[in-house]
Amino acid sequence: MSAGFIEVKGVSKTFTGHLAPVEALDRVSFSVAEGQFVSLVGPSGCGKSTLLQILAGLMESSHGEAHIAGECVSGPMPEKVGMVFQEALLLPWKTAAVNIGFPLELRGVPKPARRERAHALLSLVGMCDVADRYPHELSVGMRQRIAIARGLVHDPSVVLMDEPFAVLDEQTRVRMGQELLAIWQETRKTILFITHSLSEAIYLSDTVLVMGPRPGRILDVLETGLPRPRTPEMIGSEVFGRLRNRIWQLIGEAQP
Amino acid sequence: MSRAARIRALGLIAFVVLWEAVAQLGLVSPILLAPPSEVVAALMTDGGVFLEGLALTVAEIGLAVALAWSLGIGFGLLAGSSGRSAEIIGPLLASLFAVPVIILYPLFIAWVGMGPGSKVLFGVISGFFPIALNTLSGLRQVDPDYATMSRAMGANGVQVFLKVYLLMALPAIISGLRIGTALVVIGVVVTEMLASLGGVGFLISYHRTLFDTGHVYLGITLALLVVLAVNWGLSRLERRFGGWRELQQAAG
Repeated sequence: MSAGFIEVKGVSKTFTGHLAPVEALDRVSFSVAEGQFVSLVGPSGCGKSTLLQILAGLMESSHGEAHIAGECVSGPMPEKVGMVFQEALLLPWKTAAVNIGFPLELRGVPKPARRERAHALLSLVGMCDVADRYPHELSVGMRQRIAIARGLVHDPSVVLMDEPFAVLDEQTRVRMGQELLAIWQETRKTILFITHSLSEAIYLSDTVLVMGPRPGRILDVLETGLPRPRTPEMIGSEVFGRLRNRIWQLIGEAQP
Repeated sequence: MSRAARIRALGLIAFVVLWEAVAQLGLVSPILLAPPSEVVAALMTDGGVFLEGLALTVAEIGLAVALAWSLGIGFGLLAGSSGRSAEIIGPLLASLFAVPVIILYPLFIAWVGMGPGSKVLFGVISGFFPIALNTLSGLRQVDPDYATMSRAMGANGVQVFLKVYLLMALPAIISGLRIGTALVVIGVVVTEMLASLGGVGFLISYHRTLFDTGHVYLGITLALLVVLAVNWGLSRLERRFGGWRELQQAAG
């Protein structure tokens, strides 16, 4: 494991607003080791998504820079960085398998190769039987699994996830978390996971980055230290509760 | 034939029989209502003239539809490709769409004459606005998150436009084509009836002044056939390209 697989150095972002400039991020720095599962929590509007967009190369930072796998981020790097959003954002006229192959289609990969890769990923997310279904025929949770498979289609080393389970009901959410951990264990990706659920962050991650309210900055970096594999019973454990209280405290102290 | 289609066909036959009966029994003046038999008689005596008229009308509609589609879609895509231009041009198109084009028809006759040119021009202008307007608003209604997703997946600007925006807007574009094409057909036939030298509309108008009711009904029947054919083509287009939106709505 090499240190600093994802390296964020003094990243600030200021939006030019209608009335006054809005400071979204204030000198954010952190690093994530290869193969780690790291969550980013913080109050809504603290700039979590902005930070992720900068890492994905979808937005430029005002100051500072981000490196992924030794490369300075200056635009999207789909082969290196997979992405999953809050909404599944599947193209409604494409079947599940074709949606998974969409990033390959953009790269001009021929159809049979796309289909083969899509089927491998469908089996990874346990959705082989819906390959030829259209998005509107799938449940919200199923669509999100397809979106995760699409994020992995290039076999990227890093996966950025922007509140991917936020729209799911609690039971589906916990189950999806379990499945994501299984996928992570199998593929050994470096995952940066945004969520506003503290329990979800602690349950899934090795490390939790806690962000304060706008302008977003990193308040603290917590190692969860929970053993793996994680089980739902851990959510009620004392260690878990202490971590949760600690994050609450951090965010509470930072409130203006 | 499906059950529904059989019932429709039976209904049509019953309608024609009833129509003939009402006319034969002398319930309605023959000047107001010609029985189907007289329509057939008109076809026998003046069929050639009517087929020529039909060919002209179909040609005018074909040309006007081709122009209205390409100009409407082209302009709509251009205007809708940026938020700023859509903001400026959208309301302009909407208010121009509200103008009854018929008030300009005397000008069109002065510009391009009584012949087919003024019909085509009128048809193109009638059809252009709804097509351009729907294309533009279809593009603007696309959720920008899809563009963000595609860029993150490695799409360049052209790919985002062609593979996401255009296809997302397709159902809206097609419903614009539906409205626009219907307006082209109406426009061409109506202007033929107002002032022209030929076509189905002209024949309906001409025979009405002679009280040749059978001929008038023949013209009306031909115009209806044109509308049916156009509508059939549009439904096929909609089913081929716009289907996913309906399915999605049905699924909630």
